Formats: sequence, C-alpha cells, structure tokens
Amino acid sequence: MFSLPILSQVLVNGLSLSAIYILVALGFTLLFGIMRVVNFAHGAFAMLGGYALFYLYGVYKLPYPIAAIGGAVLVAALALVLERLVFRWFYHKMFQSMIALLGLNMALVYAAVLIWDVNERSLPPVAESMLDLGSMMIPMDRLIIVGIAVLVLALFWFFVTYTRQGLAMRAAAQDVEIAATQGINTRRIYMLAFFIAIFMTALAGGLYAQTYALSPFMGDRPLMVAFIVVILGGMGSVSGAALGGLLLGFSESFLSTFYGASVSSFVSFGVVVALLVFRPWGLLGKPE
Amino acid sequence: MSALETRINAKAPEARVPDVRSRRAVRNRWFAILALVFAVAWPLMAANNFYMTLGTMIVLSMIGTVSLNLIIRTGHVSLAHGAFMGVAAYACVLLQTALHWPFLPALLAGCVASGLLALVLGPIVLRLTGKYFVLVTFLLGEILRLIFVEWEPVTGGSNGIQNIPLGLPFFSSPTAFYYFCLAAALLAIGIAWRLLLSETGRAIDAVREADSIAECSGVPVIRLKVMVFVIACALVGLQGGLQAQLVHAIDPTAFNMDVSLAMVVMNVLGGMYYLVGPLLGTVFMVALPELLRGYVELQQIIFGIILIVVMAVLPGGMIDLAALLRRVLFKSHARSQA
Repeated sequence: MFSLPILSQVLVNGLSLSAIYILVALGFTLLFGIMRVVNFAHGAFAMLGGYALFYLYGVYKLPYPIAAIGGAVLVAALALVLERLVFRWFYHKMFQSMIALLGLNMALVYAAVLIWDVNERSLPPVAESMLDLGSMMIPMDRLIIVGIAVLVLALFWFFVTYTRQGLAMRAAAQDVEIAATQGINTRRIYMLAFFIAIFMTALAGGLYAQTYALSPFMGDRPLMVAFIVVILGGMGSVSGAALGGLLLGFSESFLSTFYGASVSSFVSFGVVVALLVFRPWGLLGKPE
Repeated sequence: MSALETRINAKAPEARVPDVRSRRAVRNRWFAILALVFAVAWPLMAANNFYMTLGTMIVLSMIGTVSLNLIIRTGHVSLAHGAFMGVAAYACVLLQTALHWPFLPALLAGCVASGLLALVLGPIVLRLTGKYFVLVTFLLGEILRLIFVEWEPVTGGSNGIQNIPLGLPFFSSPTAFYYFCLAAALLAIGIAWRLLLSETGRAIDAVREADSIAECSGVPVIRLKVMVFVIACALVGLQGGLQAQLVHAIDPTAFNMDVSLAMVVMNVLGGMYYLVGPLLGTVFMVALPELLRGYVELQQIIFGIILIVVMAVLPGGMIDLAALLRRVLFKSHARSQA
C-alpha cells in the first residue's frame, strides 16, 4: 500500500493541490484582510479564470505560460469594473458584503450558463509526458502547475515584503484611516489589492479547471476550499493561507488516495470545526 | 404586523401614550389582518394547482425563515438551518417508512430530533460569535449533508427516499394541505412572535446588542442562546416534514447549502430585525422565481443583481423601502408646501 511509486504520486498530487489551494485562499484572505469583504463570488472568479484559459490555450493556442498568466490578467482587469460597480459599496461591511456577493455569484454563474451552456468541457493538457525518476513517474503537467504557482507566490511575497506599494498595502490592511493620513492613496491600494486577489484566484481557477473539469458551476469547490484554508490558517493571515493550503492539499491527497474522497472530506471538515471551536482565529491568525 | 408592536414594546414601553406610534401599531394590525385574510382566501383566488402549490411553498418557507430569524435576533447567522431541516425531514420520513409510524407523531419526532441535535451542538458552537459562527455552521451544514449522502443504507444516498406515503388522508387535496401548512406556519410565526414580545425577547435583544453587558445584568447568555437555537431548529423541522409531503420525496439537495443560504437571504432581503421582514423576503424570494419560470438563467441573473442593489441601497432590507418612500414623499410634500 505504502510503496514508493504510490507515495510519490501522493506527494506530487498533494503539492499541485496545495499550490492551487494556496492561490485560491490567498485571494480570499487578501479581500477579507484588507477590505473586510467576505467574497462569496470567489468561486465565480475562479470559474471565469477557467474559461479564460480555455479560450486562450484551448481555442487560440497561445503558448501555455502566456495563456495562463494572460487569462488571469484578463479576468482581473474585467473584475476591476465589478470592483467599481459592486465591491466598492461593500468595503468594511462584512455582513452586507456576504449577501450582495452571493448575488454577484449567482449573476456571474448564470451569465456563464447563458453564454457557455451547462455542459462540462475539458482543457487540453499542458504536457502528456512523464518525468521518469527511476521507480517514480511524475506527470509533467502537475509539475508545470506547481512551477507556475510557486513563481506567482514568490512574486507576491516579494511584492508585499520589499516594494513601497506592498508596504502601503500592509499599512492599509492594518488601519485604512491612518494609512490615508500618511499620504497613501487607499482607493488605489484597494484596487491594486483587488486586482492581485482576483488575478491569483483566476489563475488558480484555470489550473483547477485543467486538473478537473470546466463548467459554470465548478466554482463551488474552490469557494469551499478557500473557506476551509482560510479558517485553518486564520482569517486575513497571508502566511496562514499558505500553511492551511499545504495542510489541506497534502491531507486531501493522502486521505483520498488511501481511504476515499468522502473520508477525506469528513476528516477535513471535522478538523476545521474542532479548530474553530478551540482556536477560532486559526493556526497563524491573531485573536481579536 | 406584529413586529412593530414587538419593537414598541421592547424598546419604548412609554409608547402606550396615544401618539403617532400607536396609530402606526393600529395600522400594522390592520395590515396583519389583511395579510391573514389574503392567506386564508388564497385557495379561492388560486386559479389552478400551480398557484395552489406556490402558496403552499411560500407558507412552508415562512416556517424556516421565521425560525431562522429567531437565531439571527440573538446575533448569530446560522448557515446550517437547511441541514437541521434535513435532519427533521429524514427522521420524520424514516419513522414513517421504516417503522410505519403515523404521520403526526413522526413529524413531532422529527422536530424533536433536530431540536435534540441543536441541544447537543448548540452549547459548543454558540460560544463563537460573528463570522466564526457563520463559518462553523457553514461546515456543520456540509457535514450533515455529507452524512445524508454517505449513509446510504439509511438515507438512500444521493437518490434519497422516494414514494413517501401520504401523511394524512386529506393531504391528497391541495387545498386541505395548504390549510394544514398555513396552520403550521401560523404556529411557528405565533411562537416566534410571542417569544420576541416576552421578557425573553428583551433578553434576546440585549444579548445581540451587547452580550457582556447582558451577562452582567443577569441574563444567562449561553443558556438563552442555546434555548433559542433549539426552539428554532425544532420549528424548522415542521417545514422539513411537510415539505417531504409536498414533493413526496427527499434527497440531500433539498437540504444543502443553497437552501440554508436562501433562508439567510430571505431574512436579510426582507429586513431581519422585524418579524415581517423574513415573511416579506420569503414571499419575494419564493414567488418571483416561480412566476418567471420561463427564463431560468436570466431570472437568476436578475435576482443576483436585485440582491446587490437592495444590499447597496437598503442595507436594512426591503422593510426600509416603506420608510424610504415615506421620507421621499414627505420631503416632496414639504417642498410643495414651502
């Protein structure tokens, strides 16, 4: 049961799942941590990312890295229109944002049904080949997914830690009004943070659609994942999202390989409920 | 209707002096009576079975939203309410089919089952507040749904249970069934109304507004919250059992997150700090989609947009629309006088 080929498979699956989960959850936690918005439309943006990748890579045959990044940029740019029309009303209004963004989710999902019908589609794989490491066979496309995700996460970390804009973003997350009095254009910082959050979500949606399937309703699962990861790590905590994503990705890969998908869901939900009861602020969050 | 009295009695006991408020209370009583007459006369106006069933659906949904409103009044937004309804529905149907219980005891037992589950879980989860409570009930709802799906020998898995026997002989008549559901809904609304009007209702308001101050004033906060939670989860069981009778089948999708979310949306959309709010929201949310059946996708899109607009313009829900209109009319009236 625990032979090397299977374990390596579990490891690679876990790594690629974690990469996707971290990207999804990071977008969610950014929107929550900075704008105090519970983004129930998160899954819809992931779904749009899936369709963007479908067109750019599957239909227009652009080279893969350009299609993946470009698709996510496209979705994020379109989302800026929604930021102006919808999100801006609900910054710092947690409860109303939940309901309104639920509405946005409905509108986006059913608009997608209207445009692309409900049937599932599949995206062409990036690479068919396998990387042969003696007794281990590692599918290349999983490695490419991990590579893209790691690259984006590293860039994000660099941006937040070392650039002036990143510093301004952290300041705005701590206290908007004080940040504004220090000469930070908070409205622009919010737009920037929103763009980054949706960019990561759409990218994750594309990768997710490629691993599983693409349909207007595919967003439910990423939304659920974002919830769980963010609770695990702590609402609004960036490092928490990374830790939570790794934990969920690896445990899901391990448990669903050896014990089946339903056991894996039960365990992850149960653990998160227990965590919420005893440590509601998450593993790396701060108690309020 | 009753809600305004609730507010007056809860927040301003001196309002017994005959002034604008009591006049408004009288007017609200007339609205309540009018609504009740309308509800009772609905079978006469309903042209066909479609409208009859629509009426039954609205009335049944009111049980869920009003009972959820009780939980919301304590300051907790539960996303597991649909799942609790599922627990009651499965318990009721299983007692009917497997143990051949008569319908009414089975329905009662279903309510007791969901109430008991709430009694077990309540003391644990109700210690959490705000977003943490929302998240933990979200996950609880998912866990319960997974149990409905995975416990196949008992619940029938994803297919659920079909061919549920007729509960009472007169349920075969849509009109009689409508009146039965209306009675159940009135019972639920009545319980909620009395509870909110009572001393307990005032304690509930206090817990929502400032739980530590309430605790200092001698309100047993956790015990009160658990009590309200248990009552609400038992009441929603009525909807579960009757809904199974309406569609003659149950399956996990009838109790999933969408159902729980819809209950919250109806509350927020209508206005969650008045008892009329959830009723208004229910009529709006259940009737409108059914009447626009022809264009499902477009209707969902419009619906989503309505939710956004209402939340942006009327954060207090549709109940604020009247106040908004009054303000606008009053303003224009004042201007025309000036």
